[in-house]
Amino acid sequence: MYLDWGNPADEILLRTHTSPMQARYMEKNDPPAYVVVPGKVFRADTPDATHSPVFHQIEGLAVDENLTFSDLRGTLAYFAREFFGADRRIRMLPNFFPFTEPSAEMHASCFACEGGESCRVCGGVGWIELLGCGMVDPNVFEWVGYDPAKVSGFAFGMGVERIAQVRHGVSPLRHFFDNDLRVLSQFR
Amino acid sequence: MKVSLNWLADYVDLGSWEPGGIAEVLESLGHEVEETQFLAPRFDGVVTARVLEVEPHPRADRIRVCRVTTGDQPMTVVCGAWNFEAGATVALAVPGATLGGGVEIGRRTIRGVASNGMICSERELGLGEEAEGILTFDSEIAVGDDLAGLGLLTDTVLDLSITPNRPDVMSYVGVARELAAYYRVPFHRPEPDFPQIEADPRIEIDIDDPSGCYRFTAREVRGCEVSPSPFWMRTRLRASGQRPISNVVDITNYVLLELGQPIHAFDLDELGGAAIVVRRAHPGERLTTLDGVDRALTPDDLVVADRERASALAGTMGGGSSEVTGRTTSVLIEAAAWDPPTVLHMSKRHALRTEASARFERGVDPRLPPRAAARAAELVTSLAGGQALRAVTDVVAREDKLRPVTISLDIREAERILGPGFESPRVVDLLTRLHLEVAGEDPISVEVPTFRPDLTRPIDLVEEVARLWGYNNFPERVPRGPGGGRSVSQRRTGTLRRALCGLGFSESVSLSFMRAAEIGIWGWEDDDEQAANIRLKNPLREEESILRTTLLPGLLWVAKYNHSHGLENIAVFEMGRVFLDRPHPTLPKVPDQPERMGILATGRLGGSGLGITPRQVDFYSASAVWRAIAHHLDLDDWRLEPTEAPGWHPARAARLVLDGAVVGTVGEIHPAVVRRAELSGRVIAMELELDPLVADRTHWQFRAPSVFPPYTFDLAFEAPEELGAQDLVAATARAAGPLLESARVFDEFRGDPLGAGRKSLAINYTLRASDRTLSGEETAEALRSMAGAARELGAELRGEL
Repeated sequence: MYLDWGNPADEILLRTHTSPMQARYMEKNDPPAYVVVPGKVFRADTPDATHSPVFHQIEGLAVDENLTFSDLRGTLAYFAREFFGADRRIRMLPNFFPFTEPSAEMHASCFACEGGESCRVCGGVGWIELLGCGMVDPNVFEWVGYDPAKVSGFAFGMGVERIAQVRHGVSPLRHFFDNDLRVLSQFR
Repeated sequence: MKVSLNWLADYVDLGSWEPGGIAEVLESLGHEVEETQFLAPRFDGVVTARVLEVEPHPRADRIRVCRVTTGDQPMTVVCGAWNFEAGATVALAVPGATLGGGVEIGRRTIRGVASNGMICSERELGLGEEAEGILTFDSEIAVGDDLAGLGLLTDTVLDLSITPNRPDVMSYVGVARELAAYYRVPFHRPEPDFPQIEADPRIEIDIDDPSGCYRFTAREVRGCEVSPSPFWMRTRLRASGQRPISNVVDITNYVLLELGQPIHAFDLDELGGAAIVVRRAHPGERLTTLDGVDRALTPDDLVVADRERASALAGTMGGGSSEVTGRTTSVLIEAAAWDPPTVLHMSKRHALRTEASARFERGVDPRLPPRAAARAAELVTSLAGGQALRAVTDVVAREDKLRPVTISLDIREAERILGPGFESPRVVDLLTRLHLEVAGEDPISVEVPTFRPDLTRPIDLVEEVARLWGYNNFPERVPRGPGGGRSVSQRRTGTLRRALCGLGFSESVSLSFMRAAEIGIWGWEDDDEQAANIRLKNPLREEESILRTTLLPGLLWVAKYNHSHGLENIAVFEMGRVFLDRPHPTLPKVPDQPERMGILATGRLGGSGLGITPRQVDFYSASAVWRAIAHHLDLDDWRLEPTEAPGWHPARAARLVLDGAVVGTVGEIHPAVVRRAELSGRVIAMELELDPLVADRTHWQFRAPSVFPPYTFDLAFEAPEELGAQDLVAATARAAGPLLESARVFDEFRGDPLGAGRKSLAINYTLRASDRTLSGEETAEALRSMAGAARELGAELRGEL
């Protein structure tokens, strides 16, 4: 979604994800960095059961000396257990994202079925996709003026509506944007 | 990419692993399994049979009588297909067999001839769409076997989603290589070995554009015969999602899936001239591609051409003129390495994404073409006959692309990113299993094969180490950060949210847009800030074409939505950014996007939880909501001043001045707006800048409560209509000085005995000193100054002091 505003040479795009906030924060603050950034994101999508032109993401970033892949795994597993229940198992699958390496997609074991045949929550897979994450790519550290040989860290991003849908069984997506008081009053 | 496990077993020993386990391993390696399909024959009782004799039917022209055997006594079967003769091996549904939808085959007499079953086509067996003629097998299939029991048709197919950085895994060999690395088992790559003849190639290759074409390998096979592929190849292609066409075309698809190298086969006799030229398209040039579309080419397009005209879009799709057909007898096999961005842009420009372009745009191994061309030639000679030339035309335009990259990796780097335990032996073992050549001690020197274009930096190797080790085998650890928490304004925003929820409001979230029709509803003029909006360049829908300049239309929309669903008492608030047609104060290239807090309510409000009857909203409810907010946020330097603003009620709206600055409007929405929005009754609203409300406040200082008695009294003033109660309170409070403890308006009325334009305001005051009991003189003096201050505003004390 590009704006028809200002100098046509500076094309202004409404942000499509919250990831740029990682670099914005690091450009302005010296390490260590431990932040979460929630916000609206915009996509050229027509609304349907699973799409909305506007939705929300939460971006997370941790940069320090001696942060490893185990910190990434431990932090997000902690989150998953706090959010979905203490007996959740998690798994991480390698993936490809432009600003992290190694990159992973994190899944939590389905809280509704434990792998049952026709589960409405996970589709019978037994796992629920929660978020994308990874170790911050050294190129990103170089862009923002951090020394990639000294610091390391991890980043993650998740869809707010998505995890709320999973946790509370909300479907379709439009319930988050219709602002029906009978829906809003259920969220306490 | 659909991967048949039957086919995959050619390249890696799958042993006794369960399909589910293989899928799990592939996922742990980063290759998501989108779907697992279990294929099984949808028939029973179908046996392979040899046709011994074929004779015309004595009483019918279009059917024939066959003598067939399944190994025992020959039987008679009547058949309507003509694509076979004596000697063919066919699929015979014997009496008692069931096909597809439960159709049972019995003995029938067809025009006087007994038929002992049915010779089946692929469609009748539920295998494919081809109904022209019956299914025949090549000589590798024995006679008398139960077709379902052969295992060819019982398969598991994994549909893999391959990430864009891994072109090497978009093939059977690539998937096998990953599994072999994981399971530590051998990996078999096809090694072409086939008879070749000595002859001079007919075609010369000329790469005119080395920026687009790194390498072009061509092989000729002469004297082949185009016919259907054998059953095993058709079965494998179908399981992989490809429709079988003819042996030569199927072989190109087969090699593409097997090795990941897209192959193109040209009809050698249809190529004009004795050369192939790789060049950019001429201005105005056109090409009809195999999908039948006549395409206008641009000089950015890269084409494979003969001397006369373009015959294929490089790495994307062939052209119709040199297509392999049933009449083709000689083929030129092309295996090339194209520049990924060139193919990517071309396939986007022509909206033409093919199996070939999907691979080339990610990067196909530039060392692969000769091997792939040989594999294709081997399959053509073995399945379509003909003779392959030993001579291979292999033109390398970019030698540099064939050189493997070497990366130096400091072992401590693996440990720094991945954690303890990633020491030299483990790192070297993991990298070696992935076909990377490791030399040296520390740092190690890692030679990356050309099929892994994604590995260029040390961190890429660290990722490979983690990937093969298994992300799920890392221990969990939670870092101890420096501590944090939310900022003061974030915490105060939370306080504001909870205060509003406590008052009975719900928080809404709207999409940040507004509709053109809403500008009309609110009655904003062109020069109002609300109407000076920013539009999107490429809106998909009218509803999301204008960025909101105010939160109010969204809130009014929420009220309308809920009203239309039968709700009468509606109270909502929203916090969010609006987009104004003026440069951002510190980032002038983007529009200003201040954050606002808006509320809107209609129907009855208040009393929640206390058993007090809620009342219809009006200006006083709006100002009461504001007072509650001010109370929760400890805001005390504020006043509400009468204002006239577009969209607001002319007499029941006030602008809010906080700490000396206007921060927004509080009051009732204009009745005309309410009417145009098809609502009724009063609608109250508020729209305020958020930052000043939640900004950090100076810490308050403790004041010891006085132990001396208070002096409490009421004063009633007769005041002009235009004097605000708040101004009168403020002036009298100032006059009372430090003795004033509290002042509160408790009554207001108009009418007799007051004159027109006059009103009465009754205020309750408490005076108290911290260090003494107030004397009669002191209180009398205070009252006199308060009355005097009131008089200056035109308000007269009613009655005597």
